Amino acid sequence: MPTSVLICDDSSLARKQMARALPRQWEVDISYATNGEEALAAIKAGQADVLFLDLTMPVMDGYEVLEHIRREDLPTVVIVVSGDVQPEAVARARSLGALEFIKKPIDPDKTLAALTQYGLL
Amino acid sequence: MSSDHAQESGLPQELTEEQRDCYQEIANIAMGQAAALLSRLLGVFIKLPIPRVNLFELADLNMALQSLDHDEAASAVCQGFAGDGITGEALIIFNDSNFEDIAQLMNYSGEQSEAMHVELLMDVANILIGAFLKGLANQMDLTFSHGHPMVLGQHKLVRDLLQPSRQPWQQTLAIEITYSLEDHPVNCDLLLLFTEDSIRIMNQKVAYLLDD
Repeated sequence: MPTSVLICDDSSLARKQMARALPRQWEVDISYATNGEEALAAIKAGQADVLFLDLTMPVMDGYEVLEHIRREDLPTVVIVVSGDVQPEAVARARSLGALEFIKKPIDPDKTLAALTQYGLL
Repeated sequence: MSSDHAQESGLPQELTEEQRDCYQEIANIAMGQAAALLSRLLGVFIKLPIPRVNLFELADLNMALQSLDHDEAASAVCQGFAGDGITGEALIIFNDSNFEDIAQLMNYSGEQSEAMHVELLMDVANILIGAFLKGLANQMDLTFSHGHPMVLGQHKLVRDLLQPSRQPWQQTLAIEITYSLEDHPVNCDLLLLFTEDSIRIMNQKVAYLLDD
């Protein structure tokens, strides 16, 4: 069965770049969200075995999404993909439950490495 | 007159949604790289906004830019840059009420003085402008050389600091970013203005990114 992947980013360029960075051999069903609220709805609809999550977004940002996932114990694995590369941003995302933090612009090799490391492929 | 001019030169009057999104994302990444350096210098987390991207007539500068829309006294530094057919000005705009907090965070001791304020402004400008332009150039596959930073003015209303009439071009592409420090009442605007002639080349670069 394909893995359901949710890409949440307010930028359509970033969503496209993220989708293109996924390993070719990975069998996936990709859904998209443009802000945190949409992401939460998609997770609850079972569309996010793996969630690639941006931090800086309108309506609801990535930190709030991570808080909701933790508080409501939502079934998803989160990889944060962000241009906010302050060490404090990385630390906060991780402490809120993100499994991995990948810097933008997204690099297919780093994506592959992270997915392999956590046995998600 | 000025909008006729833009039409004659075949320049778009507006950005497409796709172009705006692309500039925003490029700015988002460059802004994050600059914030990482500034946060290390100040030891404070920096709250990042969503960058504002606009194309407008330079004559409308005062209306088009949010950074200019406050009544506090401010100081500004500008730095020109150029390369690969693209020319622009980067500006750092600082509310005067920020100086005390920033001086403390940067461990400047002694009396607040004009000289100290200029030094602080220059330090912050060098970091933010340098890192932002580097991030932008890397993503768009450009190389910029930078002019020397200059104090544009001190302790004035921002709209009086910027004098659009002095610029030779009509249309401008602007990127505006407001950096705020967490737990400190400090805001600092980074403003990039690209010349009319740069816009077409930049739009081409953006088209490559979209097609890739």
